[in-house]
Amino acid sequence: MAAKLWWMIHKDLVSECRARRVWPAMLLLGTVVALVFTVQMDLLPTEKRRMVGSLLWLAIFFAGMLAIDRSFASEREDGCWEGLLLCPISPTAVYLAKLVVNVVALAALQCVLIPLFIVLSDVPLLARPGAMLLTALLGNLGIAAVGTLLSALATAVRPNGNLLVLLVLPLVIPIVLAAAEATRLIAQGDLGAPWWRWVQLLGAFAIVFVTAGAVLFDFVIED
Amino acid sequence: MADQTTAIQASGLSKAFGGRVVLRPLDLDVTEGETLALTGANGAGKTTLLRCLAAVLRPTSGQVRWFGQSAASSPTARRLIGMVGHESRLYPHLTVRENLVFSARMYDVAEPARRTDQLLGSIGMSAHAHRFPTRISHGMRRRLAIVRALVHDPPILLLDEPFSGLDEEACGWLLGLLREMRARGRTVCFTTHDRQKTADLADRVLHLAGGRAEETRAAEATGSQEAPLKVRAA
Repeated sequence: MAAKLWWMIHKDLVSECRARRVWPAMLLLGTVVALVFTVQMDLLPTEKRRMVGSLLWLAIFFAGMLAIDRSFASEREDGCWEGLLLCPISPTAVYLAKLVVNVVALAALQCVLIPLFIVLSDVPLLARPGAMLLTALLGNLGIAAVGTLLSALATAVRPNGNLLVLLVLPLVIPIVLAAAEATRLIAQGDLGAPWWRWVQLLGAFAIVFVTAGAVLFDFVIED
Repeated sequence: MADQTTAIQASGLSKAFGGRVVLRPLDLDVTEGETLALTGANGAGKTTLLRCLAAVLRPTSGQVRWFGQSAASSPTARRLIGMVGHESRLYPHLTVRENLVFSARMYDVAEPARRTDQLLGSIGMSAHAHRFPTRISHGMRRRLAIVRALVHDPPILLLDEPFSGLDEEACGWLLGLLREMRARGRTVCFTTHDRQKTADLADRVLHLAGGRAEETRAAEATGSQEAPLKVRAA
């Protein structure tokens, strides 16, 4: 299964690199949102450190949904989805492959947004890189787990619609809040017990949603 | 009499979409090595039946077995079938060769690259291996879709209107391929509107009308021995 998982991930990443359909739009939207947030808000440095977590994760959420929304749409448009379902692979493997690709997409987005926020807001988000990396990874995992599952559902219900954000929002709010709080504490240089609690919450969400996605995916894609 | 293995067994198979019954309950046995043609007007349920037999469509009732294995039991059972649908199912941003290699890997084919090169050579498309599907003709895409279904050499092949969109040369190639599969004892099930192809290839013909299946004896067209009736309403 691991080899098949790798080749499905490889296929999606190669296709996206060649098509350049989604990631450029995602990066552009994220950049515009970040610019609007940071340039328009004239705040004191202490207020910026308080706000940066929320602004960063809002930008990641809205821009990231662009990529996650297209996870399955492109397969269905090209008639390849049924071809994949015919293969001797479990639906869980398909879900995990799409999940990893979406996590990579969000990570690519953060590679652009975090430095942008640092430059525009003068907030030391990378002063503690390990903490920021852990927060980003767990936040990505939670958002991608929910988004991947619901993207499959939304694409099945309305292939050319924009249902995903509506479906995802209620489930993703706790993840975005937790990630925003953890990021705020990193920006303020406070990596004590409160930060650790938010990270544990992010970890719990990631475990729950990845497990739920892996279990429920078969039912979501049922024709 | 030689013991005949049942390659495809459908029991009480039916399908409804919402309140609309597309396929009424039927039992169907297809013997290993047999070629079964599904005929009928547009909307008769041919594609629905084929997709249920391929287990890409979950039936409303009943179950499908391939060589005794439940189609829904395990993903590994899918190695027993290859299916060709209406669409080519080729990833547009992977080259022709990459598409086949990907399929071969998904089916755990040993030496996927070598198998791919062999298949491309057999259909005369080696020169197009590094082109994208959008840059080749529709007929070539259909050929690719067919060989991709054969990449793992499945004992059962399901084809949905395989001759549509093919020119005379390609039709000849496909006829030859299906005859070869028949000679090798592979089980083939295909939908078609073409009576001549049906007569040329099929051992049995299942005619669908209004979601009901009725066997038409292919013997009448081919002149061979009568096949026993193995289709009945459930």
